Amino acid sequence: MLRVKSKRNRILLQILLFIMTVPYLLPLLQMFLGSLGGRGLYNYAAVWNTGVVPIYFRNSIIISAGVILIVYVLSMTAGFGFAKLNILGKEVFFWLILVALTLPEVILLTPLFVTFQRMHLFSTFFSVIFPLAALQLPFTILLIRNYDEGIPVELLEAARIDGATTAQAFRHVILPLTKPIGSAVTMLTLINSWNSYLLPLLFLQKPTMQTVTLLPQYFQGEFTNDQTKILAAAVLTAIPEIIAYLCMQKNFERGMSAGALK
Amino acid sequence: MARGPHLPSRMCGMEEGAAYGRSGDYMNKKLAIRNNGMVWIIPAFLFLLIIIYYSIIYTFNLSTMDWDGLSPTMKKVGLDNYSKMFADKVFWKAIKNTVVYFAITFVVQNLLGFVFAAILHSEVKLPTVHKCIIFIPTILAPATMAPVFRLMFSPQGMLQHFMDFAHIPITVDWLSRPQTALYVLMAIVVWEFTGMSFILYYAAMSQIDKEMLEAAQIDGAGNIRTLITMVFPLCKGTTVSLAMLGVIGALKTFDIPYLITTGGPDHATEFLGTYIYRQGIRQSHLGYAAALSVMLLVMAVVGAFLTNKANKEGG
Repeated sequence: MLRVKSKRNRILLQILLFIMTVPYLLPLLQMFLGSLGGRGLYNYAAVWNTGVVPIYFRNSIIISAGVILIVYVLSMTAGFGFAKLNILGKEVFFWLILVALTLPEVILLTPLFVTFQRMHLFSTFFSVIFPLAALQLPFTILLIRNYDEGIPVELLEAARIDGATTAQAFRHVILPLTKPIGSAVTMLTLINSWNSYLLPLLFLQKPTMQTVTLLPQYFQGEFTNDQTKILAAAVLTAIPEIIAYLCMQKNFERGMSAGALK
Repeated sequence: MARGPHLPSRMCGMEEGAAYGRSGDYMNKKLAIRNNGMVWIIPAFLFLLIIIYYSIIYTFNLSTMDWDGLSPTMKKVGLDNYSKMFADKVFWKAIKNTVVYFAITFVVQNLLGFVFAAILHSEVKLPTVHKCIIFIPTILAPATMAPVFRLMFSPQGMLQHFMDFAHIPITVDWLSRPQTALYVLMAIVVWEFTGMSFILYYAAMSQIDKEMLEAAQIDGAGNIRTLITMVFPLCKGTTVSLAMLGVIGALKTFDIPYLITTGGPDHATEFLGTYIYRQGIRQSHLGYAAALSVMLLVMAVVGAFLTNKANKEGG
């Protein structure tokens, strides 16, 4: 992209990149150094010994898995329908998706609070999984639709001529070809469900059901504002996320490029 | 999937089809593939209908009521909540904050993302390490990072250490001053979302014909000029997508201001999201919060519509 011929310019570019990147590391450094304040690694032991960390993690895993399952199935099928099949009033449905895309989480709170209580869904994992999946769907449907549009029609025609039903074509042609966007969607959904704060805060009242994003708050109560332990908890929450990202980084990048480009 | 030779069926007309073995079967399947789209999108739409559209209609209705969430009946008040909203100083403050926030974060974040993408598409060392460092903030929960930022910008934090180190003799609690709190939040948001802008620009740039750029550069165009006059226009689609996501994102802003400053001090970092939460959940003015929600939704839809339209006309 940039043309740097001389050795001097190449070094200057590397230094520029370094200077630009450092600020992105500073908050992580602050988090880590802060967590070692006071009694050092003992902070981690204290946080771990409360015994709540694994429980909160388990809950976050349950919720994220549920959301990913719903989002993956529904947006894969809908994205395929939008990109490759005839739909009466396609434009209308498209606009319905765009409106849903703009909906902020905070608007859902009162309607769902009242309704879930009436339906006895309140303070179950479903009360968080369903809204999170619904908030995620519009964006993932659009991403997958864009990706599927790039798949040559000839492949589907060929499958059809071979006698495949739509479902078979979806399973044997679309699914294998959409792996990159599939992992991008999985990663995005994982990030958003794992990071969700407001819905678990309000809809999961039992302490045994709360999620990792509520850990800082728990420790604020538990350690009466001992910052170092709150930061140790933050580090423990961040590490699995970073590892998950590093594992999926290549696929995620490929999927994002293919799905986001129009 | 493959069931014997099917080559002739490529030209399959009605009369030919009648003579062909399983033609009736085949025709049905063809029709099914053409028209069955509805079945594939209905599950997703039912889901959106039950959760999202139900909530929207509920909110519209609630916005004409006065209700504290506890009393068994709601009181009908017509459009009172809306007239109250337009006279509410905090509402306008939240709008103003959103506009300032969008204008600044949009420019800074995308400029940084664009430059990072250009540099990482050039010959530099350790590209993956830099990519990961830029993107990791995007994956970390604001809830996890909020205590870190509260410490970082406090008099005990890293920023103060840097100032002491540089012998700047001031001590500031950046997040508790109305003059600075909003700007600190914007810096945090840029930190968090540059990765998104970066990855989208990076993807767009990998589609650009490198030889064309090289030709221009051999003709004497400098790097900066190539970036501005050639690369940036070629990434226009990405910029528009980011604008649309940015408008929606700015209007939706909640987690970061709520977790770090709770909208304060003195509403200096109040956004529509935090104000809806304050009115609805904290103070139980559910009707008023619903009216604010309707307003927020209308603005988000109009914003998305306008950027989408600008995209179609310009592209």
